[in-house]
Amino acid sequence: MGSDAAEIANLIARCALRDRGAFRDLYGRTSAKLYGVTLRILRDRSEAEEALQEVYVKIWQRADKYVPGGYSPISWLVAVARNHSLDVLRARKPQSDDIDLALDVADAGPDPEQSAVDRAERSRIDNCLDQLDGEKADAVRGAYLDGFSYEELSARHNVPLNTMRTWLRRSLLKLRECLSA
Amino acid sequence: MSDDSDITGHNEDEFLVAEYALGLLKPDEYAALGARLLTDRALQADLRFWRGRLASLDGQFAETPAPAAVWSKLERRLFPATAKAGFWDSLALWRGLSAAAAAIAVIAIGVNIVTPRPDANAFAAQLVAALNAEGSNVQVVALYNATTGQVRLTALSGDAVPDKDYELWAIEGSNAPKSMGVISISSRNDVKVAPDVLAGFGPGTVLAITLERKGGSPTGAPQGPIVAKGAATQI
Repeated sequence: MGSDAAEIANLIARCALRDRGAFRDLYGRTSAKLYGVTLRILRDRSEAEEALQEVYVKIWQRADKYVPGGYSPISWLVAVARNHSLDVLRARKPQSDDIDLALDVADAGPDPEQSAVDRAERSRIDNCLDQLDGEKADAVRGAYLDGFSYEELSARHNVPLNTMRTWLRRSLLKLRECLSA
Repeated sequence: MSDDSDITGHNEDEFLVAEYALGLLKPDEYAALGARLLTDRALQADLRFWRGRLASLDGQFAETPAPAAVWSKLERRLFPATAKAGFWDSLALWRGLSAAAAAIAVIAIGVNIVTPRPDANAFAAQLVAALNAEGSNVQVVALYNATTGQVRLTALSGDAVPDKDYELWAIEGSNAPKSMGVISISSRNDVKVAPDVLAGFGPGTVLAITLERKGGSPTGAPQGPIVAKGAATQI
């Protein structure tokens, strides 16, 4: 896993050097994952394909903005795909360009503890979500993995919008406490 | 709502950043927080926290092979047949990437091919690759001397950037860039080519200079913008 991440980080670095072969390799190794992201959030094949194309255009054009150590490389790619899908979903202006922000933020300095905790995190977030009521954990997952808005969450869980917001915010407080422990 | 009592005592920002990371904000809230995030370090740290932790859920996105048509479209769009135009486009792109990267360098690389011969001191430098752009205020010439195993870099002109260093990289084919160390843009540098770099050193080796934090990239992979790049060519 660690060497996988290192290889993907290298491919991204080479994309920043305009290495088309590296871009092809990167696409080969990661497109199934990113298509999984666009497809899950957009829930429409042709939209998801279109989005996937846009996502890789962004990756190629801004590969130099990836800061190794700030963010695991696959997380960075997933974040690009997820943010783009959310933009499409919410019909935000394309200029909202979350990728710029993601990387400006990362530029503020790599978080030294970040990569070290990456693997342990995977089970930790599940443990922390398990400490929430099932429905509330589902709401957090639904927002992150499916791109559900507060409106959609409240409809799916059949509670008023304000209740959903309160639920979710309370869950976020608990999560933060658990994840910081 | 009395139901809210346990969350009303909290700073609204605590929630906004988490909601931002989850994608729950409305476009106007999203834009407003985005603007604040550009300058507010505490908010940035908070966002890093949430993004880092939530990214652990990424494993739950199921891998799904993308239809082949996506790659063909992508390739046609990014790499149209006019390779030359693509090259200059990307050069313009590099230049736009960083305000700090005011420097566009010319690298000329001479390669003395390693061939056994009686007179090891006979030093034939053979040109050369160049990368060029208008607005250049840095020019670097690089010359590889097989006898000494060194690359001599001479900056013909250019400015140091405060709190930044220029770092030299060697790229062999499709391998990851290997650092050759930090270089001075205001004086001559003799850079010893490390054995792992030397292994593939020759025509086609690409040398690139990036602008990095002081002391060079701490990770062994380039982080900053490319300010110059050129392939070694034997003539």
